[in-house]
Amino acid sequence: MLWFLRGLRRGVVTTRYPRECDRWAQALPTPPRFDSELLTDELVQALVDACPARAIGRQYRALVLDLGRCTSCGRCYEVGGEAVVPSGMFELAARERTDLVKRIPIRRGYA
Amino acid sequence: MDAQQLAAELRARSLSLFGRSLHVRTLDSGSCAVCESEIRLLAAPHYDLHRLGLFFTPAPRHADLLLVSGAAVRAMDLAVRKTYEATPDPKAVVAIGACALGGVYESDLFLHGAVDEVIPVDVYVPGCPPSPLALLQGLLVAIGRLEERVSTARFDLREERTA
Repeated sequence: MLWFLRGLRRGVVTTRYPRECDRWAQALPTPPRFDSELLTDELVQALVDACPARAIGRQYRALVLDLGRCTSCGRCYEVGGEAVVPSGMFELAARERTDLVKRIPIRRGYA
Repeated sequence: MDAQQLAAELRARSLSLFGRSLHVRTLDSGSCAVCESEIRLLAAPHYDLHRLGLFFTPAPRHADLLLVSGAAVRAMDLAVRKTYEATPDPKAVVAIGACALGGVYESDLFLHGAVDEVIPVDVYVPGCPPSPLALLQGLLVAIGRLEERVSTARFDLREERTA
Protein backbone atom coordinates (compact mmCIF):
# COMPACT_ATOMS: atom_id res chain seq x y z
CA MET A 1 0.00 0.00 0.00
CA LEU A 2 2.92 2.29 0.78
CA TRP A 3 4.24 2.17 -2.80
CA PHE A 4 0.84 3.34 -4.02
CA LEU A 5 0.81 6.40 -1.72
CA ARG A 6 4.41 7.19 -2.61
CA GLY A 7 3.46 7.00 -6.28
CA LEU A 8 0.55 9.40 -5.75
CA ARG A 9 2.82 11.87 -3.97
CA ARG A 10 5.52 11.90 -6.67
CA GLY A 11 3.10 11.96 -9.57
CA VAL A 12 4.07 10.90 -13.10
CA VAL A 13 7.83 10.65 -13.55
CA THR A 14 7.79 9.73 -17.24
CA THR A 15 9.15 12.42 -19.56
CA ARG A 16 6.72 14.02 -22.04
CA TYR A 17 9.60 14.27 -24.45
CA PRO A 18 8.36 14.51 -28.04
CA ARG A 19 5.67 17.00 -26.93
CA GLU A 20 7.73 19.06 -24.50
CA CYS A 21 11.30 18.91 -23.31
CA ASP A 22 12.44 18.26 -19.75
CA ARG A 23 13.99 21.27 -18.07
CA TRP A 24 17.08 19.34 -16.98
CA ALA A 25 17.91 18.70 -20.64
CA GLN A 26 19.43 22.21 -20.67
CA ALA A 27 22.20 20.86 -18.44
CA LEU A 28 23.24 18.06 -20.82
CA PRO A 29 26.76 18.34 -22.24
CA THR A 30 26.40 19.67 -25.78
CA PRO A 31 28.69 20.51 -28.72
CA PRO A 32 30.10 24.05 -28.94
CA ARG A 33 28.82 27.05 -30.86
CA PHE A 34 31.24 29.70 -32.11
CA ASP A 35 31.31 33.47 -32.34
CA SER A 36 32.89 33.91 -35.76
CA GLU A 37 33.72 37.60 -35.12
CA LEU A 38 36.03 36.58 -32.28
CA LEU A 39 37.76 33.68 -34.10
CA THR A 40 41.38 34.29 -35.00
CA ASP A 41 43.71 31.90 -36.81
CA GLU A 42 45.76 31.37 -33.64
CA LEU A 43 42.66 30.61 -31.60
CA VAL A 44 41.39 28.13 -34.19
CA GLN A 45 44.79 26.41 -34.22
CA ALA A 46 44.64 26.18 -30.40
CA LEU A 47 41.12 24.71 -30.64
CA VAL A 48 42.25 22.15 -33.23
CA ASP A 49 45.11 21.11 -30.94
CA ALA A 50 42.86 20.96 -27.87
CA CYS A 51 40.16 18.76 -29.42
CA PRO A 52 40.86 15.13 -28.49
CA ALA A 53 38.21 13.72 -30.85
CA ARG A 54 39.41 15.53 -34.01
CA ALA A 55 35.97 17.15 -34.22
CA ILE A 56 37.40 20.63 -34.83
CA GLY A 57 39.39 21.07 -38.02
CA ARG A 58 40.43 23.91 -40.28
CA GLN A 59 39.97 24.47 -43.98
CA TYR A 60 41.41 27.68 -45.43
CA ARG A 61 39.41 30.55 -43.89
CA ALA A 62 36.93 28.41 -41.98
CA LEU A 63 36.70 26.30 -38.88
CA VAL A 64 35.09 22.93 -39.61
CA LEU A 65 33.11 21.40 -36.76
CA ASP A 66 32.12 17.75 -37.15
CA LEU A 67 29.24 17.22 -34.71
CA GLY A 68 29.36 13.47 -35.34
CA ARG A 69 32.84 13.29 -33.89
CA CYS A 70 32.27 15.69 -31.01
CA THR A 71 32.16 14.01 -27.60
CA SER A 72 31.05 17.21 -25.79
CA CYS A 73 34.06 16.99 -23.50
CA GLY A 74 34.19 20.77 -23.04
CA ARG A 75 37.93 21.31 -23.58
CA CYS A 76 37.24 23.87 -26.31
CA TYR A 77 35.33 26.03 -23.80
CA GLU A 78 38.47 26.29 -21.67
CA VAL A 79 40.63 27.25 -24.65
CA GLY A 80 38.17 29.44 -26.52
CA GLY A 81 36.91 31.76 -23.77
CA GLU A 82 34.09 33.98 -25.03
CA ALA A 83 34.39 32.82 -28.63
CA VAL A 84 33.16 29.30 -27.78
CA VAL A 85 29.93 28.66 -25.88
CA PRO A 86 27.79 25.54 -25.35
CA SER A 87 25.08 25.22 -27.99
CA GLY A 88 22.59 23.61 -25.59
CA MET A 89 21.32 21.52 -28.50
CA PHE A 90 21.06 17.77 -27.92
CA GLU A 91 18.58 16.88 -30.69
CA LEU A 92 21.30 16.20 -33.22
CA ALA A 93 19.97 13.22 -35.18
CA ALA A 94 20.72 13.61 -38.91
CA ARG A 95 19.66 11.78 -42.04
CA GLU A 96 22.83 12.69 -43.92
CA ARG A 97 26.30 12.44 -42.42
CA THR A 98 27.27 15.68 -44.17
CA ASP A 99 24.52 17.59 -42.30
CA LEU A 100 26.61 17.14 -39.16
CA VAL A 101 29.62 18.97 -40.60
CA LYS A 102 29.39 22.73 -39.96
CA ARG A 103 31.65 25.39 -41.46
CA ILE A 104 32.23 28.55 -39.43
CA PRO A 105 34.13 31.42 -41.14
CA ILE A 106 37.14 32.90 -39.33
CA ARG A 107 36.29 36.61 -39.57
CA ARG A 108 38.98 38.15 -37.39
CA GLY A 109 41.98 36.73 -39.27
CA TYR A 110 45.42 36.95 -37.67
CA ALA A 111 45.43 38.69 -34.29
CA MET B 1 9.44 9.35 -62.66
CA ASP B 2 13.09 9.59 -61.73
CA ALA B 3 15.02 7.61 -59.16
CA GLN B 4 14.90 10.35 -56.52
CA GLN B 5 11.10 10.48 -56.59
CA LEU B 6 10.87 6.68 -56.51
CA ALA B 7 13.19 6.54 -53.52
CA ALA B 8 11.11 9.14 -51.65
CA GLU B 9 7.91 7.24 -52.37
CA LEU B 10 9.46 3.94 -51.30
CA ARG B 11 10.68 5.51 -48.07
CA ALA B 12 7.22 6.93 -47.30
CA ARG B 13 5.63 3.54 -47.96
CA SER B 14 8.07 1.66 -45.77
CA LEU B 15 7.50 4.21 -42.98
CA SER B 16 3.75 3.65 -43.20
CA LEU B 17 4.42 -0.11 -42.98
CA PHE B 18 6.15 0.46 -39.64
CA GLY B 19 2.90 2.00 -38.48
CA ARG B 20 2.75 2.73 -34.79
CA SER B 21 4.64 -0.31 -33.54
CA LEU B 22 8.31 -0.87 -34.13
CA HIS B 23 10.76 -3.45 -32.84
CA VAL B 24 14.32 -2.45 -32.18
CA ARG B 25 17.38 -4.71 -32.11
CA THR B 26 20.52 -3.29 -30.57
CA LEU B 27 23.82 -4.23 -32.18
CA ASP B 28 27.18 -3.62 -30.55
CA SER B 29 29.97 -3.40 -33.11
CA GLY B 30 32.64 -2.94 -30.46
CA SER B 31 31.58 -0.14 -28.14
CA CYS B 32 32.65 0.61 -24.58
CA ALA B 33 29.12 -0.25 -23.30
CA VAL B 34 28.23 3.30 -22.25
CA CYS B 35 25.98 3.65 -25.32
CA GLU B 36 24.37 0.37 -24.23
CA SER B 37 23.75 1.70 -20.73
CA GLU B 38 21.97 4.71 -22.27
CA ILE B 39 19.92 2.40 -24.52
CA ARG B 40 18.97 0.37 -21.46
CA LEU B 41 17.68 3.56 -19.82
CA LEU B 42 15.17 3.99 -22.67
CA ALA B 43 13.17 1.11 -21.20
CA ALA B 44 13.25 2.63 -17.68
CA PRO B 45 10.13 4.36 -16.31
CA HIS B 46 11.50 7.86 -16.93
CA TYR B 47 11.81 7.47 -20.70
CA ASP B 48 9.41 4.54 -21.12
CA LEU B 49 9.81 3.94 -24.83
CA HIS B 50 6.88 1.53 -24.88
CA ARG B 51 4.49 4.49 -24.62
CA LEU B 52 5.64 5.44 -28.15
CA GLY B 53 4.99 1.95 -29.53
CA LEU B 54 8.68 1.02 -29.65
CA PHE B 55 9.92 -2.27 -28.24
CA PHE B 56 13.25 -4.05 -27.86
CA THR B 57 13.53 -7.48 -29.37
CA PRO B 58 16.31 -10.04 -28.80
CA ALA B 59 16.35 -11.31 -32.41
CA PRO B 60 17.22 -9.43 -35.61
CA ARG B 61 14.65 -11.53 -37.48
CA HIS B 62 11.91 -9.91 -35.42
CA ALA B 63 13.36 -6.40 -35.72
CA ASP B 64 12.43 -3.44 -37.93
CA LEU B 65 15.25 -1.20 -36.82
CA LEU B 66 18.89 -1.79 -35.90
CA LEU B 67 20.47 0.45 -33.28
CA VAL B 68 24.20 0.15 -33.95
CA SER B 69 26.82 1.40 -31.51
CA GLY B 70 30.59 1.10 -31.47
CA ALA B 71 33.50 1.76 -33.79
CA ALA B 72 32.86 -1.17 -36.18
CA VAL B 73 35.67 -3.48 -35.08
CA ARG B 74 36.81 -5.61 -38.03
CA ALA B 75 36.40 -8.81 -35.98
CA MET B 76 32.68 -7.97 -35.79
CA ASP B 77 32.27 -7.53 -39.58
CA LEU B 78 30.67 -10.93 -40.09
CA ALA B 79 28.30 -10.51 -37.12
CA VAL B 80 27.26 -7.02 -38.21
CA ARG B 81 26.64 -8.08 -41.84
CA LYS B 82 24.76 -11.22 -40.76
CA THR B 83 22.56 -9.20 -38.41
CA TYR B 84 21.87 -6.68 -41.17
CA GLU B 85 20.94 -9.44 -43.64
CA ALA B 86 18.81 -11.27 -41.06
CA THR B 87 16.69 -8.17 -40.46
CA PRO B 88 13.64 -8.35 -42.75
CA ASP B 89 12.95 -5.52 -45.22
CA PRO B 90 11.91 -2.75 -44.87
CA LYS B 91 14.50 -1.95 -42.25
CA ALA B 92 16.17 1.12 -40.84
CA VAL B 93 19.65 1.44 -39.36
CA VAL B 94 20.46 4.06 -36.71
CA ALA B 95 24.14 4.59 -35.86
CA ILE B 96 24.62 6.01 -32.37
CA GLY B 97 27.56 7.51 -30.57
CA ALA B 98 30.71 9.31 -31.67
CA CYS B 99 32.58 6.03 -32.34
CA ALA B 100 29.94 4.80 -34.78
CA LEU B 101 30.04 8.13 -36.62
CA GLY B 102 33.78 8.25 -37.20
CA GLY B 103 34.99 10.12 -34.15
CA VAL B 104 37.32 8.91 -31.40
CA TYR B 105 39.01 6.10 -33.40
CA GLU B 106 40.79 6.32 -36.76
CA SER B 107 40.34 3.54 -39.26
CA ASP B 108 43.18 1.05 -38.84
CA LEU B 109 44.03 -2.67 -38.94
CA PHE B 110 41.60 -3.50 -36.18
CA LEU B 111 38.59 -1.30 -36.81
CA HIS B 112 36.80 0.55 -39.59
CA GLY B 113 36.20 3.58 -37.38
CA ALA B 114 32.66 4.18 -38.65
CA VAL B 115 29.61 1.96 -38.99
CA ASP B 116 28.65 3.21 -42.48
CA GLU B 117 31.81 1.57 -43.86
CA VAL B 118 30.18 -1.80 -43.16
CA ILE B 119 26.40 -1.36 -43.53
CA PRO B 120 24.27 1.51 -44.90
CA VAL B 121 23.06 3.89 -42.19
CA ASP B 122 19.77 5.86 -42.30
CA VAL B 123 20.05 8.10 -39.25
CA TYR B 124 23.12 9.30 -37.35
CA VAL B 125 22.85 10.19 -33.65
CA PRO B 126 25.95 11.99 -32.30
CA GLY B 127 26.95 12.13 -28.66
CA CYS B 128 29.37 10.41 -26.32
CA PRO B 129 27.21 8.83 -25.11
CA PRO B 130 24.01 10.22 -26.67
CA SER B 131 21.49 11.02 -23.92
CA PRO B 132 18.37 8.80 -23.89
CA LEU B 133 16.45 11.88 -25.06
CA ALA B 134 18.78 12.20 -28.05
CA LEU B 135 18.31 8.47 -28.75
CA LEU B 136 14.53 8.90 -28.60
CA GLN B 137 14.74 11.76 -31.07
CA GLY B 138 16.96 9.64 -33.35
CA LEU B 139 14.48 6.75 -33.28
CA LEU B 140 11.52 9.06 -33.97
CA VAL B 141 13.41 10.73 -36.84
CA ALA B 142 14.21 7.30 -38.28
CA ILE B 143 10.54 6.33 -38.41
CA GLY B 144 9.46 9.76 -39.64
CA ARG B 145 7.55 10.91 -36.54
CA LEU B 146 9.85 13.86 -35.84
CA GLU B 147 11.65 16.21 -38.21
CA GLU B 148 15.44 16.35 -37.97
CA ARG B 149 16.66 19.75 -36.82
CA VAL B 150 20.41 19.68 -37.18
CA SER B 151 20.62 20.44 -40.92
CA THR B 152 19.12 23.91 -40.38
CA ALA B 153 20.74 24.57 -36.98
CA ARG B 154 23.37 27.32 -36.87
CA PHE B 155 26.60 26.83 -34.99
CA ASP B 156 27.85 30.35 -35.65
CA LEU B 157 26.46 32.93 -33.19
CA ARG B 158 26.83 35.81 -35.68
CA GLU B 159 24.97 34.05 -38.45
CA GLU B 160 21.98 33.64 -36.15
CA ARG B 161 21.94 37.29 -35.20
CA THR B 162 22.05 38.56 -38.78
CA ALA B 163 19.50 36.05 -40.08
